[in-house]
Amino acid sequence: MASGAGEWSTAQMDDYETLISTTDVELLKRAWRNEKAAPEILPFEEALVKRAKEQIQLMEETVDEFAESGHDPLIASLYQMDLDRAQFLLRSYLRVRLQKIEKFMFYIWKSDAYRHRLSTEEEKFGERCIRDIGKHLEETVLSKLPDNYQSLLKQSIISEEDDMVPEPQLDTFVVAKCQRATRPLFLDGSRQSAGFDNRDDHFQMVPGDLCILRYRPFQEELMSGNISLV
Amino acid sequence: MHGRKAYELVKEFASGEKGHLKIFNNELFERVIEECNEHHNALQSLIRKMQEEGLEVLTARTADHYGALIHHLSLIRNKRCLMAYVYNRADIIRDLAWKVGLLHELPREIQEKFSDSEEQYFKDHSKSLKSYMSQLSLNVNVDMVPPKDPYIKVRVLEDLGSGIILSDKSANFARHSMHFLKRTDAEQYIARGLMEELTS
Repeated sequence: MASGAGEWSTAQMDDYETLISTTDVELLKRAWRNEKAAPEILPFEEALVKRAKEQIQLMEETVDEFAESGHDPLIASLYQMDLDRAQFLLRSYLRVRLQKIEKFMFYIWKSDAYRHRLSTEEEKFGERCIRDIGKHLEETVLSKLPDNYQSLLKQSIISEEDDMVPEPQLDTFVVAKCQRATRPLFLDGSRQSAGFDNRDDHFQMVPGDLCILRYRPFQEELMSGNISLV
Repeated sequence: MHGRKAYELVKEFASGEKGHLKIFNNELFERVIEECNEHHNALQSLIRKMQEEGLEVLTARTADHYGALIHHLSLIRNKRCLMAYVYNRADIIRDLAWKVGLLHELPREIQEKFSDSEEQYFKDHSKSLKSYMSQLSLNVNVDMVPPKDPYIKVRVLEDLGSGIILSDKSANFARHSMHFLKRTDAEQYIARGLMEELTS
């Protein structure tokens, strides 16, 4: 930033950082990183995606205008570069989600909580995915097996649960960065304060802290925005 | 040997190069299916035998009970192997749908490796992707790598002549000639295989 404009106080610097960290580009970046790093599908950032699309459109118009008016080509190309990056971010975000849907479609469709994380378009896409792969597996394998073994989701008729559904590996480790100070956390995710004193494995994160954590116990911290993944 | 054939099938898939398909092994596949039916017949006859002897199928701990159990488990194992074979191939097919299915036909060398049902699946999945993108009116299959520069260096792979006018200039795009173009202009030609990006 302009260093000639006088020194910035720490408070001003903080203000500036909070401001930057809440712009849509920054939010989209965070959503994209979270989505990329999380093993399961996260709630769809509907409002954010809508805003991002509008802004991209606006930017496209600006770039076109610049090109027509014969403005400084350097400025135009800087705008173009910015536009390209924003578009990549948005596309990649949507792409990662689609790929997760492809991978865990049966798992997602089993619980409403997961299904509600999808956008309308994603839900339609998922339905088609399930229909297509179901048809494919049915034709190739299942219809040729004995009656009691034809289920797509169960190994055989005597299985009580769906035991043929690929599930995301929630116990995997992720690198988390703290956004807002958290309450004391336990490594195994328990939050009971009883017996607090005699347990020494709790810790607290302050903004900027980086930790490698098991994903499952910290889902809620991620959803509430206290931490983000990198 | 119980489950040996199914294991071979899965192993064949696993030994292949990552992301590449081999020809669908119909012969081995059908053999495993046959084995499943044999297991099923054996299982059924054991259960019938137990019933004739007046034994409770689920609780009697006789040799026949365990025999039936082994047939049941072998059948399940075979089923899992068959499903894994088809499902993991489907994974690769989906990947192909992302990369090429939306733009043009698959090259013949790849199509030959599909089974009939897989060919249909490839088409169906490409359609699903297309319909998602048209609902969103946004192409998600471009920009696969983060863009670094608005301008890129390309080499022309097929003679395009000088008829093409790009947004800011026109040039003679003879075969093998190299140009420095706007990425957005060049992208459509790269996707159609008419140009390639040169990375230094």
